[in-house]
Amino acid sequence: MVAADRVAATVAQGVHGRRRVGTGDSFWQFRPFVDGDTPARIDWRQSAKSDRTFIRDMEWEAAQTVCLWRAGDASMGWASARGLPQKRQRAELLLLALSALLVRAGEQVRLIGVPGRAFRGRGAVEGIARALPDGGDGLPPRALVPARSCVVLMGDFFAPLPEVRAAVAMLAGLPVRGHMLQVLDPAEVSLPYAGRVKFRGLAGEAETLIPRVDGVRAAYAEALAAQQDGLAAICRAAGWSFAIHRTDTSPESALLSLYMALDAGRYSR
Amino acid sequence: MIFAAPWILLALALLPILWWLLRATPPAPRDQIFPAIRLLAGLKSPEETPARTPWWLLALRLGAAGLVIVGLAGPILGAGGLAVLSRGTALLVIDDGFASGPDWPARVAAAQAVLDRLDHANSAVALLTTAQRPTGETPRATAAMPVALLRPLVAALHPQAWPTDRAALVDAVRSSGSGPVFYISDALAGPADEGFAAALAARGAVDMLTGDLPARLLLAKPEPERLVAVLRQTAVPAATHETVLAETGDGTVLGQTALTVPAGATRAEAAIALPPELRNQFFALRLAGAPGAGSVALLDEASRRRPVGLLAAGSGGETPLLGDNFYVERALGTTSELRHGDAASLLGRKISMLVSADGVIGTADDGAIEAWVKAGGILLRFAGPGLAEQAAQDGASGKLLPEPLLAGDRQLGGAMSWSQPAHLAPFPPGPFAGLAVPAEVTVNRQVLADPQAGATPQVWAALTDGTPLVTAARLGAGELVLFHVTANADWSNLPLSGLFVDMLSRLVQRSAGVAGSEDARMLAPAQALDGAGVLGPPPPAAVPLRASDLGSVAMSAEHPPGFYGPEHDRHALNLGSERFPLVAMSKIPGSTRLSLLAAPREQPVGPWLIALALALLCADMVLTLRIRGLLRPAFAAMLCVVLAGQAWAESPALATHLAYVVTGDAEVDATSKAGLVGLSAYVNLRTAAVLADPAAVVPGRDDLSFYPLLYWPITANATGSAAATGALNDYMRHGGIIIIDLQGGTAGASGTGAGFAPGAEAALRRVADGLEVPRLAPLTSAHVLARSFYLLSDFPGRFDGGTVWVQQDQDRANDSVSPVIVGSNDWAAAWAADDDGRPLFAVIPGGQRQRVLAYRFGVNMVMYALTGNYKGDQVHVPAILERLGQ
Repeated sequence: MVAADRVAATVAQGVHGRRRVGTGDSFWQFRPFVDGDTPARIDWRQSAKSDRTFIRDMEWEAAQTVCLWRAGDASMGWASARGLPQKRQRAELLLLALSALLVRAGEQVRLIGVPGRAFRGRGAVEGIARALPDGGDGLPPRALVPARSCVVLMGDFFAPLPEVRAAVAMLAGLPVRGHMLQVLDPAEVSLPYAGRVKFRGLAGEAETLIPRVDGVRAAYAEALAAQQDGLAAICRAAGWSFAIHRTDTSPESALLSLYMALDAGRYSR
Repeated sequence: MIFAAPWILLALALLPILWWLLRATPPAPRDQIFPAIRLLAGLKSPEETPARTPWWLLALRLGAAGLVIVGLAGPILGAGGLAVLSRGTALLVIDDGFASGPDWPARVAAAQAVLDRLDHANSAVALLTTAQRPTGETPRATAAMPVALLRPLVAALHPQAWPTDRAALVDAVRSSGSGPVFYISDALAGPADEGFAAALAARGAVDMLTGDLPARLLLAKPEPERLVAVLRQTAVPAATHETVLAETGDGTVLGQTALTVPAGATRAEAAIALPPELRNQFFALRLAGAPGAGSVALLDEASRRRPVGLLAAGSGGETPLLGDNFYVERALGTTSELRHGDAASLLGRKISMLVSADGVIGTADDGAIEAWVKAGGILLRFAGPGLAEQAAQDGASGKLLPEPLLAGDRQLGGAMSWSQPAHLAPFPPGPFAGLAVPAEVTVNRQVLADPQAGATPQVWAALTDGTPLVTAARLGAGELVLFHVTANADWSNLPLSGLFVDMLSRLVQRSAGVAGSEDARMLAPAQALDGAGVLGPPPPAAVPLRASDLGSVAMSAEHPPGFYGPEHDRHALNLGSERFPLVAMSKIPGSTRLSLLAAPREQPVGPWLIALALALLCADMVLTLRIRGLLRPAFAAMLCVVLAGQAWAESPALATHLAYVVTGDAEVDATSKAGLVGLSAYVNLRTAAVLADPAAVVPGRDDLSFYPLLYWPITANATGSAAATGALNDYMRHGGIIIIDLQGGTAGASGTGAGFAPGAEAALRRVADGLEVPRLAPLTSAHVLARSFYLLSDFPGRFDGGTVWVQQDQDRANDSVSPVIVGSNDWAAAWAADDDGRPLFAVIPGGQRQRVLAYRFGVNMVMYALTGNYKGDQVHVPAILERLGQ
């Protein structure tokens, strides 16, 4: 959580406000008084500078609900080298940092699959950290998600594409905007093994014996690219954004792009 | 090298098949966890090259398999030398007489080597020894038995102390079957050897193994002044040098002599010079380096000093300084064995001289004594009032006197005579010739010989006017000797002088002793030599011996060499009598003669090869794990560290250590270390400070900042270096305390250690050249150092009284603690103690109190170093309180 705060603090400096009129605290615009507006809202100082009456508009800062989810299956609990964090730890870090940013900006944060109230205000991040389930699945569960909220999914998404499409479709059917972040270990990207290796999976899959890993490296890269293209296509079809993050790169950059995507998605509506 | 089971070597032909199998089998793949395994499923690599075991791993495994096969085949090293060619029951004959004692272990090893060869041939072996058993029975050949059953019998053999008796074994050899004969012989010819040799040759092929040492016998010939050792041996072509030791009863060597036996000689002699006082302690002569019964010549009473019998005087004869026997005892007691008693008891044993000190011999003893003297004894009589009176009564009897005596005596000097006491004239030729006559010997009174009796005795000593003082006459084979003065100082002061001692010892040496008067006694065996030359209880078969047969009996189990007779009358029976012939044994016809060393023991190498193969397989396992990636490097590194042991040095910052400067002189450094160890122990025991082992430092090289106190002994050749001086200055500046110890100082310095360390002060000036030592003042009992733990008024070390110097002014920058303590009292030597706590050096002037004070001063210095000016403040507290109060 401390790491999440630190990451969030790094990113929060570059945040811009929501560019809409609404109820909020910060000044947005002066607009002329129109019949139908409440006279109490007239800003007399500005009106005195000219001969028209103005109303001060504030920026829209209505609390939005963002639903976060991270994959918790066994294949996430792996790191290829001792210096790298496990994928799940990185996903949790990003989740908590994002929720810290959102809560600081005044949004509400929910966890998909964890029933209960939404988290907001002070102590939200701690509550989220406590409420995060230890295990989980590789794909988001069928859960009720408030409409017009944002959804952020983080995981490695190695499941077959039809399953992923079904889960995304279920969520996109309610009109939610979504962002998918695939967290990968650099060894899963580059396959740095050589010789005769017997690979074992963490989630109970069958073992695979590869006589020469050097030879399959190209084919594996193709398979991985195909999977990632499939995921991107699913997201595009649902109107979501898709990003890839490697655990050996800094989490701040992933968080910044995710936050930007959240903002952009909000303004697109 | 031969193989015990050579057919196993055929399994080596399987090695190529093993090689092909190992090559064809691919090694186990690496294990790797991978979550994206679903993407890998179904991927095929374009070309598949088969995985192969690396060639070196293959070679390792094949090597291990080969070693196992060869090891199982039982290779044996050293199986040459002897060959068992013929079939049949083998016979192993071992000579275990006295001549095989010196190299007995080599003989047993050769026997075991022969049994090794016979073990391969799987033949049954019978064992035969050739010397009589200690129980007296003739040895018999054992039944033919397998080698494994015979080995413990061979290992349990030991040599006997008597010669072999081969003549009695001919039947045993003939009845033991036929087959090869292995004869481990001592090469000493005995009677009736031809029959034995013929029987052996008839039995089968004979292999004779002999040692290199000749058979030796040692004989002792005591002579009056020295002991002659005679060595007899069989002839060898090379000259040998031996050492003969003269030992006492408990094995202490009192004298030795070197003996050289020329090439081809069979006899050599050497003499051991003996002071007469030690003569009686000699017990045996031993040949060094050859343990055996033939190398020991036992000495009995015949070689010892001659016993002298002292006839009991009347009452008052033993009175010190006045009694008649007193001076004779004192003169003869150191060099001879003195026996007291009456004539009958004295003559019952062998004595060489009979002394009658008060002059009178009872008539009952006359006959016995006369017979004894005629047989060769010396009777020594002294004159006295009784003799003078007897001469007056008996007239010219002259019985047991060299000549008849005149009645009365002659007075020289005294109140009623004109003459002065007479002196002795130089000795005429006789037993006393050559003795120096002291001028102070005077004679006051003497008896005189009767000139008219016609006897012409020999005059051995006379006065200056020609009057005989000592006369002697021959009686039969012995002599009668008369001193014309008393044996005490009444009539002359001759018994008071050293001349008396010399004269009596000459007389004792002159006495030849009485030989062989008790011939028919039976002497029971008291102690016997065993085969290794060690005296012990006699064997079961030993029987008593007639005293007259001592020189002529043949050695056997019934009469082993040793001591015979009762406790006070021991007679020695030695092997080395001249009668025993030492001749080399002739060759057995048709035999091959080998040296004992020609047949070494076999060494099976098989188990070692199998152990080596196991080690290779372990290495193979480790390497395979490494290939599969299961061997973590961190774990391996930890294993190496654990196996290599904890060799890292403890950091000196973990505990408080005292330190001493290494001077280069090993003794001084050892003393410094021992001293600081002692002081640390004392401090640990009595104070709350905990000190660890002292450290040796070289200023300039080692870091001094860990040590609160540095002990620096200045030796005369100490040199300073710039680096050392800089380091010490740094140390003192940062609060360290150096104890500079001159260890005594030059002559003229203060204290009791003056002169013990010449040149130390000059050396101090040399090494302290760049040291920033502040101004010093003598240490008084008002200083903090005298009060920091104990209250002291003087500060001794090994020496006392030397001045101790500390800093004069109080330097607030250094917490008012003196950075240097200079003295010459050698404190480390006073503190030094060994592991048991005993001090290593004596304190001068001495006393336990001085050592305790030295320890206390050391504790004070340690407390001063550890607590700084804390104790100084305590010292000032009364002054402070006073100032506050008033």
